[in-house]
Amino acid sequence: MGAKPGWGKWGTWEETESYLGKVIGVAEGADAVEQGTIRRWMESKEFDCPIHLDDAAARAAGYKGVTAPDNMIFTYGLPAYWQSGDPHEQPGAEPRQIPIPVIFDVPAPCNLSFASNIDIEYFAPMYLGDRITRTSRLVSIKRKTLRVGDGAFLRQEDTYTNQHDEVVAIVNLDIFRFVAPDDKED
Amino acid sequence: MVDWSRQITLDDVVVGAEIPEISMPITLQRLVMEAGSNRDLSLIHHNREVAQSTGGADAYMNTFFIIGLFERMLREWMGTGGRLKKIGSLQMKSFNVVGDVVYCRGKVTGKQDDGTVNLDIRMENEERVTVTALAVVSLPLHMTA
Repeated sequence: MGAKPGWGKWGTWEETESYLGKVIGVAEGADAVEQGTIRRWMESKEFDCPIHLDDAAARAAGYKGVTAPDNMIFTYGLPAYWQSGDPHEQPGAEPRQIPIPVIFDVPAPCNLSFASNIDIEYFAPMYLGDRITRTSRLVSIKRKTLRVGDGAFLRQEDTYTNQHDEVVAIVNLDIFRFVAPDDKED
Repeated sequence: MVDWSRQITLDDVVVGAEIPEISMPITLQRLVMEAGSNRDLSLIHHNREVAQSTGGADAYMNTFFIIGLFERMLREWMGTGGRLKKIGSLQMKSFNVVGDVVYCRGKVTGKQDDGTVNLDIRMENEERVTVTALAVVSLPLHMTA
């Protein structure tokens, strides 16, 4: 069985189940925590809290130095869209999407998806020079038929750690992957 | 202009009170600036045609942007001495698209003696609530000299 083109690796539900409880992706953040990327992240949100910009202010607030905004964890955990050794993009190539392992790397008989719920817990600050690694696990699969189509809620647990193996944050992301009724082909 | 020398403590927190809101007009330039800074380069967040093919009226805000604005709202309220502990049960109700003005708002729902404060937070446009979530922060118990 196939389906119209969409996002995500195609496969059977048996293949999906075989990934349950396993690490489905490890991403090394492309950039270390540094002041320029912090400033640009804050600029677009018109945000000026000094603990993210000024060492003395950060120390006065109880930190060891300038700390990145907590939600930059997502940014510092993203791998590069291109790096040395990767092929150069050719005309007409599919655009690169944000790499979410449960959508793109876990096979399922689905070609569409949406995020339904996100939980983020913050455990440690990020300091200048830190390097962030994201380790993703598939922790649950719940088959469901919704109005949009047949599919399953897949929960991806992302553990973000720094170079000292300290857990910085844990994110649980629920994605509903499905195939629309009209897209099914035998 | 935020007065970052001001610090609230647990004693200042009133359960049931709304915290100060923030707002932002969503323009395509803003979405492009945000995509460049948070690195979510998915096309739905800066390409009108692709966004419309997924049901949006125009390019729409990405999750990192929404959560980042929630962090700004919470930080401006809790001051530099507060700590963000959790944002959870975050659910997207509808798209936040180019042309919208979005408002981040929050309401205190509980506080504990250890400094923990619970809030319901939400994003709204002029017509509806577009995102809901729960937040947990930690505040200083008392002012220190």
